Amino acid sequence: MGRLEGKSALVTAAGGGIAGAIARRFGAEGASVMCVDIVEESVTKTAGDIESAGGRAAWSLCDVSKEDQVRELIGKTVGAFGKVDIVVNAAAASEPTHTVVTMPLEVWQEVLDVNITGMFLVCKYAIPEMQKSGGGCFINISSTFGSIAWPGRPAYMATKAAVKQITRSVALDFAGDNIRANAISPGAIETNRLLARTPTMDAVREKMVPLHPIGRLGQPDDIANAALFLASDESSFMTGADMFVDGGFTMI
Amino acid sequence: MGLLDGKVAFVTAAGGNIAGATARLFAEEGAAVACADVAEEDVRKTAADIEAAGGRAIAMVCDVTDEDAVKECIARTVAELGPLTTLFNAAAHSEQRFKVADMPVDMWRRTIDVDLTGMFIVCKYAIPEILKAGGGSIVNISSTYGKIAAAERPAYCSAKGGVRMLTKSIAVDYAADNIRCNSILPGPIEGPRMLQRNPSIEAVVARHGQRLHFKRLGQSIEIARTALFLASDESSYTNGADMAVDAGYTAF
Amino acid sequence: MKRLEGKIAFVTAAGGAIAGATARLFGAEGAAVACVDIARENVEQTAADIVEAGGRAIPLVCDVTDEDSVKEAVAKTVAEFGGLTTVFNAAAYRDPAAPALEIDVATWRKTLDVNVTGMFIVIQQAIPHMQKAGGGSIVNISSIYGARVAKRRPAYSASKAAVRLLTQSIAVDYAEDNIRCNAILPGPIATSRLLITNNSFEAVAERHRPHLPAGRLGQPEEIARTALFLASDASSFTTGADHFVDGGYNAM
Repeated sequence: MGRLEGKSALVTAAGGGIAGAIARRFGAEGASVMCVDIVEESVTKTAGDIESAGGRAAWSLCDVSKEDQVRELIGKTVGAFGKVDIVVNAAAASEPTHTVVTMPLEVWQEVLDVNITGMFLVCKYAIPEMQKSGGGCFINISSTFGSIAWPGRPAYMATKAAVKQITRSVALDFAGDNIRANAISPGAIETNRLLARTPTMDAVREKMVPLHPIGRLGQPDDIANAALFLASDESSFMTGADMFVDGGFTMI
Repeated sequence: MGLLDGKVAFVTAAGGNIAGATARLFAEEGAAVACADVAEEDVRKTAADIEAAGGRAIAMVCDVTDEDAVKECIARTVAELGPLTTLFNAAAHSEQRFKVADMPVDMWRRTIDVDLTGMFIVCKYAIPEILKAGGGSIVNISSTYGKIAAAERPAYCSAKGGVRMLTKSIAVDYAADNIRCNSILPGPIEGPRMLQRNPSIEAVVARHGQRLHFKRLGQSIEIARTALFLASDESSYTNGADMAVDAGYTAF
Repeated sequence: MKRLEGKIAFVTAAGGAIAGATARLFGAEGAAVACVDIARENVEQTAADIVEAGGRAIPLVCDVTDEDSVKEAVAKTVAEFGGLTTVFNAAAYRDPAAPALEIDVATWRKTLDVNVTGMFIVIQQAIPHMQKAGGGSIVNISSIYGARVAKRRPAYSASKAAVRLLTQSIAVDYAEDNIRCNAILPGPIATSRLLITNNSFEAVAERHRPHLPAGRLGQPEEIARTALFLASDASSFTTGADHFVDGGYNAM
């Protein structure tokens, strides 16, 4: 018996490294998973993996920053699985390195649109469905960089701090509806995203491992394990929390 | 001798309660102050008050979400008052109370746009001038609700969370250039806006209950004095910090 | 107008660099200062410096872990200056750097005794006088290592985290008496203490890279100026708050 048996989960950015691992884990634990991304090839792969492992999955393309697409996505999920119990908000833009001064306003705007307005929209349309079915939970992917700073990432960091606050806002405003909302703040997780700023994974390791007292980069499964705990009833008294899964990055 | 002798400050929302008090105090302490606001009458009043008290000020109408307007206002500040050294960012949108599921998307966007993107734009165009001046100090107004949640204020909470990290981002990226950047997290501060939503100041104090340990609201001058500390060289080793001015609200 | 006119301050560890600088600044800003330390020679020097600069000060030899000793020192302060309004708590034990298994329980107890229990005793003895005076301000020295962990400093780190919550507890319990209580979390400060285990201040700054955006150590006077702000009425709405004075250490 899986830990998410009978649950319906919606996972954004499910074609990506972290959210892909979460979607697969949720599928393996018995949830029906709506895999969402803007890239068809990667999201169909995740959904296919879940099904070939004996799980239940569907997929959908959606730009979470577009209101009509999000509304349609929620409808489609309810159509496929009858309800929405769990939402993992992981979609995030990957912007080039800039300081405040060099970053064009359009880039800033796009990062805010995807990372926070997108999350707002998914929450906005998923909550009424959760209310109908008697509750639910959100797992919002923030970052260690939502709490501490790193050079050259003003938009990313501002949005990841905002994610922590929208998480608390949802947790507070809908606690009475049996809806929980928690954030996960991952440290450096070994995915292709890290290669956007550093040429090779070895170079990433050389730079980042010394800053993670645990002595390695995080793996997508480290985040999937945390997400599973937050999605399951094992965390039923946790809401509005910010779970750091960062190998100690923020403690030093 | 004032704590800000020789400084030139750009103050947004200077027609308002908190930033108005700050602009006046900065001027009293020797700074020349560019008072910016969308409300022309209010900002003219602040600048006139400063001049009547023997200080130096100019008033300008500026919508911080308008990139061109900000660019022009910063240029005018430097042309009329000299090299820019000090920035006080307080412009914020006063949105209505809604839970996420009920909040119109336009209202969400407007709040994020003014409270967060507006601050980004002002920093983007002010920092090159502060660099030319050889360094300076930026003080950003976040909120208690950038750290903990308030009921039915998802956009405000998210934006103010974003402000805290935008602040740290600038602190890290420009530390080597002798620019410091800190945020203030005010608790409930008495102001005319409050009476738009509440029957009386006493009702606001009562609503905050036991978290408001002084059993009174903060006064705008108390935020202004904290801003003065952060703007002045008194705080020369303080960078990227969140300064709660909240009578213990977030300590509880 | 001096900023601590009419205040009577009790400054522990006043023979040391940080509290010494603070005592001198408090004295220069008009406070009568009881300079308290366990080492007679240094504290006599601090008091003499204040008097020579035209201020009022007395040296007091006192072990903050000894309740009777603190009682006597507070009584002498009140007898000499007529009351007590301000406390600066900086006494800390110079604990050896070692991991938990290599620290004997006596060392652990001694560190907690001086850093936390000593602070508690001083606060306990001072508050009744502040209540009589109609209010006051307590400034406690925590450390960046009360928020972020250092290697091989288990007792120190635990004690400095305890200081933060002791601070908040006092803030919450005595707000109604108009007594404020705040913590300062200094980053690495250039004091002779550092040179016991390091060759130079530059070597210390280098060791803290990339965690120290300021690229330099702080000066004792920079902590003193922050303490002045918190001790003065300029911070009248600030209580129970952490004040990082760390060159951006905690921002990153």
